[in-house]
Amino acid sequence: MRFGLFYEISIPRPWTPEREREVYNNCLEQVKLADQLGFSNVWAVEHHFLEEYSHCSAPELFLTACAMVTKNIRVGHGIVVCVPEFNHPIKIAEKTATLDILSGGRLEVGTGRSATWTELGGFRANPDTTKKSWDEFVRCLPKMWTQETFAYQGEFWSMPERTILPKPYQKPHPPMWVAVTSPGTEIDAADRGMGSLGLSFAGYAEQEKKIKEYRRRIQLCEPVGAFVNEQVATTNFLFCHEDEKVGVETGKRLGNTFNYLATQLISTREVFSSPSYQSLGLLPALRRAATGPDASEQQTEGMAYGDPARIIRAIKHWESLGVDCVNFILNANETIPQEQVMASLRLFAKEVMPVFAKQPANVAAAE
Amino acid sequence: MPLYGTLDITQDPKRLPTVVNLDTEAWSLPKAEMMQLLIEVPRTSTDGLLPKAMHPALPSYVIAAFTRYPESPVGAFNLAVLRLGSRAGAHPRGFLLGALASTEAAATELRNRWGLPVEHGEVKFVRRHDRVMGTAKKAGKTVLECALVDPQPVAGTDVQYINWVTAANAPLDGQTAPLLIQVDPKYTFYKAERGKPQVSAFDAAAWNAGNIQLADPIVGTCCTVDTDLPRIRFVMDPLKPVFQGTRRIRESRADE
Repeated sequence: MRFGLFYEISIPRPWTPEREREVYNNCLEQVKLADQLGFSNVWAVEHHFLEEYSHCSAPELFLTACAMVTKNIRVGHGIVVCVPEFNHPIKIAEKTATLDILSGGRLEVGTGRSATWTELGGFRANPDTTKKSWDEFVRCLPKMWTQETFAYQGEFWSMPERTILPKPYQKPHPPMWVAVTSPGTEIDAADRGMGSLGLSFAGYAEQEKKIKEYRRRIQLCEPVGAFVNEQVATTNFLFCHEDEKVGVETGKRLGNTFNYLATQLISTREVFSSPSYQSLGLLPALRRAATGPDASEQQTEGMAYGDPARIIRAIKHWESLGVDCVNFILNANETIPQEQVMASLRLFAKEVMPVFAKQPANVAAAE
Repeated sequence: MPLYGTLDITQDPKRLPTVVNLDTEAWSLPKAEMMQLLIEVPRTSTDGLLPKAMHPALPSYVIAAFTRYPESPVGAFNLAVLRLGSRAGAHPRGFLLGALASTEAAATELRNRWGLPVEHGEVKFVRRHDRVMGTAKKAGKTVLECALVDPQPVAGTDVQYINWVTAANAPLDGQTAPLLIQVDPKYTFYKAERGKPQVSAFDAAAWNAGNIQLADPIVGTCCTVDTDLPRIRFVMDPLKPVFQGTRRIRESRADE
């Protein structure tokens, strides 16, 4: 079992220049500490126009900054939007290769297609075709990274023969993932030999079903890349405190704030009827959970908040279901003060990580 | 936290419909044809239209809907409605700005039973093979003329209708006062089509829609459905966030 951080970079109003800078700096400080403590990954989303919920529209820049202040932690696009109106595939190949070089071969490339009308409409992208364009992009990227020259004629983009530069530092290329929120996307990931980057907060039973299907399908996959990246990651909230009650209450506050912000997003399905967006993705579960930002009730199954013992129990359960990595959201709208987030990370590394680690966490170095 | 609306509906209660009681019986409305056009509007043009209890949808959008109800307890009628996309707590809702019904009886019953801000007007719903058209006239003046252009079949499962919220005076705890009322029809789909929205005439003032300007069309649908106007289940304090001010009137719909 490995542990990572997952950043939406949620920024509360009012959005002064100092406020946005402060939150970005807080995130970088957390990443730096997490690297010292032995966390394995930091992921950053690509979202656009999502007020308060996510101000992370240029994740490659944030991840570059993360790479520059860390030594070991892997940096991950969670995810890069594979829709032509958002990102040209040549630029994706070039920017990811550059980040892989700058990070010394620590890049993970998550891929996806965006789920909100706010974003798709903002870029005037056609929701009907995002699955198809994603499929085209993920089949091109490994070739663009590995072939000396590349030419392409597809449905969504084309290019004459050119040499795409630079090439990634990792050989043959960085591991590739798929964002899994909608039911069935885990099958898309498995069939293409890509990692399943779970972004929902579903309970044990639903996740177990997805993981089983993923493991079953990937055995006979036709990988889009040069290798099969069979890994399952899930997303969770983290708040670790010596006092279970304080840990649970603070964690619920974090979860409720995140969920409430997420439910304000306009899912594509809400406004644009399309066979490509029949599922609401993670929103139904969030709406059930998000009774309000101050609510005392929230689903807690599998949530990594509370005291270390409670968190260990939850993570052991995830481990038993076949999860390889749990990525943690540490804050939402800065609802938890930075010093408490940092203390939570340290306590987690000291008390929880050793239970799951092949190598003991390097807590002393970070104190 | 998310932005809130700024409209205080308690300041002008006489403007609101008045619900006779909150024990309104459900109406079954079989084989209704619903054309619904979703259009983005500038956020600044929606200022002051959404109650304080609710969050605006971002980006702002309106839903213009024309429905042909061939059967109802007050006979056949057409209904044109303008709703503002919004959130009641965590849930997407369409806040009713204005509505016109083609019969006096329908307008009266919808106001009195569900608190919908319906007036009597001329409402036409015309289906052609290349488009579905809706026209609404108030006192002889066209206040909305729109169409779903080039309808193409989709599955009913591709379409999502969001629930409505309306502002009305309603009797609760011995006094009649402004409340927000949730109206949550059910839909069984027989046919669904999708096309491009087109609006050729729109008078915002006629829909109590301030200075809303229609901007970017999103999508249009036209569906044949069995639907209803159900018993009222939830009312909300118009001045408190709905996660604090929601009150359940009855446990569930009669058919659940």
